[in-house]
Amino acid sequence: MMINLDILTFLIDNNLDILKYPILGKIVDIFAIFQMIMGSNNRITIDDFLSQLQIISGITEGSIGIKDGVNPLDPDEIIDFIDVFSLKILLNQLTQRTVTPKKKEVVGTNHETIIDHSKTNAEKLLDLIDFKQAENKTNLQNDTLVKNLSIKVKKLLATEPKSFQLARERSKETFPVSEYIPKCNDKSHSVILADIIYIANNKIQSIQISKITDNIDLLDCVKSKIHFIPNIKPQTDLSLGDCSYLDTCHKLNSCRYLHYIQYIPESLVEETKQRTQALNEIKLDNLKLPFYTHGYCCSTASKVKLPPQWIKCDVRKFDFDILGKFSVVIADPAWNIHMNLPYGTCNDIELLELPLDKLQDEGVLFLWVTGRAIEIGKDSLKNWGYEVVNEISWIKTNQLGRTIVTGRTGHWLNHSKEHLLVGVKGNPLWLNKHIDVDLIVSTTRETSRKPDELYEIIERLVGPHARKLEIFGRDHNIRPGWFTIGNQLTGTCIHELDVKRKYDKFIEVSSKQKQQSQKKRQHNNNNINNNRQQSSASLTVPSNMMPQAPLSSNKENYYYNMASRGVNMPYIGQNSMNTSFNNNVFNSLPSYYMPSLNEPQQQQHQKQYYYGYQ
Amino acid sequence: MFSQEIYSNVKTNEPKTKRVSFRATKEFHTNNYTNHYVHNGSFPQKHVSNIENTVDGYPKLQKLFQEKERQIANYATKPFGCKVNIDQIVPTLNKWIQKDHLCFDVVMIGCLTDNQFIYPILSQLPLDRLVSKPGFLFIWASAHKINELSKLLNTEIWAKKFRRSEELVFVPIDKNSPFYPGLDQDDTSLMEKMQWHCWMCITGTVRRSTDGHLIHCNVDTDLSIETQGAQNVAVPEHLYKVAENFSTATRRLHIIPARTGWETPVKLRSGWVIMSPDIMLDNFNPKKYRGEISRIGCNVPLKNEIEVLRPKSPVQKAQQN
Repeated sequence: MMINLDILTFLIDNNLDILKYPILGKIVDIFAIFQMIMGSNNRITIDDFLSQLQIISGITEGSIGIKDGVNPLDPDEIIDFIDVFSLKILLNQLTQRTVTPKKKEVVGTNHETIIDHSKTNAEKLLDLIDFKQAENKTNLQNDTLVKNLSIKVKKLLATEPKSFQLARERSKETFPVSEYIPKCNDKSHSVILADIIYIANNKIQSIQISKITDNIDLLDCVKSKIHFIPNIKPQTDLSLGDCSYLDTCHKLNSCRYLHYIQYIPESLVEETKQRTQALNEIKLDNLKLPFYTHGYCCSTASKVKLPPQWIKCDVRKFDFDILGKFSVVIADPAWNIHMNLPYGTCNDIELLELPLDKLQDEGVLFLWVTGRAIEIGKDSLKNWGYEVVNEISWIKTNQLGRTIVTGRTGHWLNHSKEHLLVGVKGNPLWLNKHIDVDLIVSTTRETSRKPDELYEIIERLVGPHARKLEIFGRDHNIRPGWFTIGNQLTGTCIHELDVKRKYDKFIEVSSKQKQQSQKKRQHNNNNINNNRQQSSASLTVPSNMMPQAPLSSNKENYYYNMASRGVNMPYIGQNSMNTSFNNNVFNSLPSYYMPSLNEPQQQQHQKQYYYGYQ
Repeated sequence: MFSQEIYSNVKTNEPKTKRVSFRATKEFHTNNYTNHYVHNGSFPQKHVSNIENTVDGYPKLQKLFQEKERQIANYATKPFGCKVNIDQIVPTLNKWIQKDHLCFDVVMIGCLTDNQFIYPILSQLPLDRLVSKPGFLFIWASAHKINELSKLLNTEIWAKKFRRSEELVFVPIDKNSPFYPGLDQDDTSLMEKMQWHCWMCITGTVRRSTDGHLIHCNVDTDLSIETQGAQNVAVPEHLYKVAENFSTATRRLHIIPARTGWETPVKLRSGWVIMSPDIMLDNFNPKKYRGEISRIGCNVPLKNEIEVLRPKSPVQKAQQN
């Protein structure tokens, strides 16, 4: 007996629908639907239908599951399972036998359409690797379902959480804008300008703008963009090309390589300044409308940033408990990069042993690393309880905005970038992720000075009022809202009263210890001196006349700083609010909890501190 | 009356403002591209001014790059492709090692996609037998993946065989780039990922001051930014060029343990054997390859022009003096 292919394809195509509500696998209903689909031209009786089902399930055993499983089939039985795969195999077997000649024909016509005989061999070969065309073809061949699904999956994978979008939008609307002037990329401009600009003493003295008033394009470009003018001197040898150091060259008056001077018209600077100022006033107004408050403290607009705080200390011997907890920590250790020194690893071990795990319960740590220290840094972060979630690359550029490609800056390859590891501890829900990218493009400055862009990125990540600490900082690192510690800082300045109290205690204890040890040493020295004096009278300066411990002078300095800034009590409340714990509590409050502190005086302060260092 | 006023204003103001406006400012201005990105959406890397020609402004270096490219092309094997399914990569390489006794000086593993199966290659393959001594290993992956692999690569056995020497970075130009990493594996990150990383390992000993016949140091940098021509291929040219410029070896193998699909075909490159499930040509034959190598030699020979131009360690100079 022949198998009815129509029934077979019907079962395969509609396997889901006929098992679902409202048919629920009832054979009578399935038969009715089958009749409906087939129309009048191919009518069969219900008995034929039943026997066909029996044949099919007999050939492909278990492909059609009957609820009660009694033989022979009854129209009132219910199908509860259809194995489409085995049915498809059966269909395949049957159709291959009957439709083979047809298929060949199809292939033949396809063939002709792909390769056009009028084309040359080269064109034909090019057609073969034309992937755009291939894309269209495969799309046509593809099942629409597959296509739709893959589009859906791609869309899902590319969709980012709304929190990313909101945070990005907020930063765009409320974060202060920096003055931005585009660079001119047209080399011919600087050549023309070099002729009409008079340079003396490595400064632009005058410009004969009348000579280019006809060249409107150039004039517009000069009015709106930064140009770099070749500073050609008697000793300059143009065939040598540009100086590797450019504006940082120490031998500017004898170097035979080409140097440049940045040229921006005063009017452009003024215009940019005004435009940026106007923009920033809008941004500041926007900040007062808290449309999205996640991750910020409850009074972002009115709250004053803490003025810069710093402690000069030997970080290795400092008691980190004094400082409290922070939302963000930056560390820029002086890694010992000399691989060959046998004692070189000492520094690294010291760094690893720093109790950085004390500084945060949950938060983010940024660690600058170079070369070999990349691995040590990753290990240290793990030891301190952090997970490395990002590696920011700082692409270092020079005066002309080019990457640094010369000067043997690395051992095997030149180094055009530096790495900044980003570690996260705990599960800080108050972070605003994905506002910035993991790249910083910025010019190099003094040796090992890192780009200021990082502070901005951090401020967007944790909000302007979170407590932030920088370890191994220098004087140029201090800034409002930040606590800086390091041995190269000048003096000490603390505004948070609980930190001040703990620090005073620490100083007291350590100076006592110092005095004790000094007394001991003094005693010993005296003994030695006595001994020496007995042996020779030439020793004149006893070592106990050496300067006193620097820590006591720090203390004086600290009071001096407090006094000179006229800072007394206003930071008591803020201090406790600024610890990372409290900050988080406030962050989680909805925006309408925000107290209205928009008094004019505070706004002034706000401006001063918030925009002060921009 | 009114229009006259305006006219007179313009007339009197124009020359004045002109003279003032074009005077140069004294302060040096630097742009904050990070801030600019937040407000204008223009990616910071787009503002690097030597993307298309990295050695712009340095004629000596430009000449060096040209000379090196010519010399490398002159001593390159013909391009070989080896089309192998991902699960057959390790067995095939094992066969090359054991039966065909093939050995490579430069081995690059991975490309710029996230669904790579690098771990099995590193853990199952006797890499130290595939890579000659001295030899160079480049592993390209996302920073996330490199981090995962570093657990393996930092183990003592591994670290002894392959010394990690540099970390390279490749940066796509924007989000429309075929090399934009996308949001894959990006659930925990705080900043949007815009880079690919590469571990460069050295096995055996080479000295940068004395082994000029084996390596040319400080020619390239550890950073590549996507150029305009680099699109529509799975592997941008930069990745190959860094390896070619650094090592003078001619036996180079690139293993791509990932499906890159027909949208981004893996192209052949002369001087390289490329093993990938999606390579465009499958023409590799160990005998033929050995023949090619014996024809051109194992190293690109020294050339005077290059020796004069390439950066050298100051130690060597001191010795010469």
